[in-house]
Amino acid sequence: MKKKKIIDSEIKKRDFASGGEVSSKLKSLLRKLGVNNKDIRRTSIITYELEMNLIIHSEGGKLKAFIDTEEIIIVSDDNGPGIKDIDRAFEPGYSTATDDIRELGFGAGMGLNNVKRFSNDIEVESKPGEYTKLKAIITIEK
Amino acid sequence: MSNKHSVLLKEDKCEGCTNCVKNCPTKAIRVHQGKATIKEDLCIDCAECIRTCQYHAKYAETDDLEKLKNFDYNIALLAPSFYGQFDRKLNPEKIKKAVYKLGFDEVWDVAYAAEAISKKTKQFLTKNNGTYISSSCPVIVRLISLLYPELLDNIVPFNSPVDLMADYVDKKVDKNKINNYSIFFITPCPAKVTAIKNPLGRENSNLTGAIAVEKIYPKIMNIIKNNDLKNVKLKQKYQPFLGISWGQSGGENDILNNEGVIETLSVSGIHNIKKLLDELTRGNLKGIRYLELVACPTGCVGGIFNVSNPYQAKYNIKSNTRSKKDFIEQNLEDYNFKLDEKIKEIGAEKLDDDFIKAMDKLEKLEQLIESLPGLDCAACGAPDCETFAEDVVNGLAKKSDCIFVLRKEIGDLADQLSLLTHELPPVMNDKDTKKNNNSNE
Repeated sequence: MKKKKIIDSEIKKRDFASGGEVSSKLKSLLRKLGVNNKDIRRTSIITYELEMNLIIHSEGGKLKAFIDTEEIIIVSDDNGPGIKDIDRAFEPGYSTATDDIRELGFGAGMGLNNVKRFSNDIEVESKPGEYTKLKAIITIEK
Repeated sequence: MSNKHSVLLKEDKCEGCTNCVKNCPTKAIRVHQGKATIKEDLCIDCAECIRTCQYHAKYAETDDLEKLKNFDYNIALLAPSFYGQFDRKLNPEKIKKAVYKLGFDEVWDVAYAAEAISKKTKQFLTKNNGTYISSSCPVIVRLISLLYPELLDNIVPFNSPVDLMADYVDKKVDKNKINNYSIFFITPCPAKVTAIKNPLGRENSNLTGAIAVEKIYPKIMNIIKNNDLKNVKLKQKYQPFLGISWGQSGGENDILNNEGVIETLSVSGIHNIKKLLDELTRGNLKGIRYLELVACPTGCVGGIFNVSNPYQAKYNIKSNTRSKKDFIEQNLEDYNFKLDEKIKEIGAEKLDDDFIKAMDKLEKLEQLIESLPGLDCAACGAPDCETFAEDVVNGLAKKSDCIFVLRKEIGDLADQLSLLTHELPPVMNDKDTKKNNNSNE
């Protein structure tokens, strides 16, 4: 079975008011498809982190979700600024957030670490100054 | 009458206005043929529809005092919020004595069990990591099992205070001497009635039934005014003021705080709670260990069966319990906290049991949503376009139930008709038409 795209959303830079919408929408879709609760929970967490990453750190981008009977794939695709040191970006506590973001209670540096923790697999590709493309794979428990 | 729920509809009073439809937190109501219907599998008995309906077409069913006659021995359980119905000068002892005079042989405070749960929760939180949710409000437990099943493991696995108290009292009854007895809960809300008929996390309830506060309130006021209550002997020696503070939102929270468990938060009002649970699902609540969640605004004092307005009632409880800091003395071993079974998911949202079929339906659903106006006007009888589309895909509504779709279809049809009138059969010409018209005159 070919994977079906169930989410394709444009995320704008610093659009905090919309934060969480994609994650909620995806949760509702997965419930309609009868996906188990454990995988819904981790997919929600991953999607929310990626969604907020796009809002807080990127120049804006796209968030997509694909599904078949085996797995859920979340793809975050942004227009920059890119990650200089990908390995470090996954370290807990590592953050490039500016002070004004931190004042809002974000940027504690747990984001990517959380995405990795709750995914079965993760792929990141980035070119500093240009883009970051991140793919999180969630294997569906049968 | 429903054997599952207590919130019901008086059909003759329903005007079909869709106010309840739009305000229902679980999207359980539809209006068809001018009358509301409540979907049994989606209703959580939160009573929001009763609050919203200006025609009083929604109501909730409870037992009458008359029922006491069916039993040789009757026991009443009082909710903590019950004390909020009275002026602060009326002490709990006097109120309890007045309840005896209604025809009860024993009167017990659920607040005793509430205090026990506070102690038990503190122990539980020291042994377990993570964020936990109070199990005391039956609406919240049902909301989670319906819309947030991914959070079921976050509910503290204890019986609610009223069930805990009912079990406790039932154990105390000397069954050799008394076999035909009842335990009635004097209830502030319909959800507790449902929890008796259709319990979650346990086989059955030890409660016989529930009587709404409003049904006994005038009688209680009369008894207090006209009777000498000195000779009434109470079963419970102490007044559990800390437990009574559970009757308003924040009470459970305050007790834990006093006990040194400070990473707690109290949220009331079902729509607020849904937003909070969304955040919890996303992993966006940091540092919170315990959530006291009560569906009614201001807590159980906001239950629809109460007589005093929820703000006054909250104040009454607060001013009565403010200076109290001590638990009553009791043994936690006397209570059976543990639920009989895991709270199950209600699981009503699935489009199909088969993933491939569900996927097909989802695709149809998305296409249908695209073709709808997205105004969420509820004129079709469903709360919003998305839910309407789901009803259509599930065969429960027709696409033309949407007035915008219908208008467009009629418009298209009219255009087609008008086009057709200009299309003349090839054997006729304009002259023929004129001739025909003339002959008609």
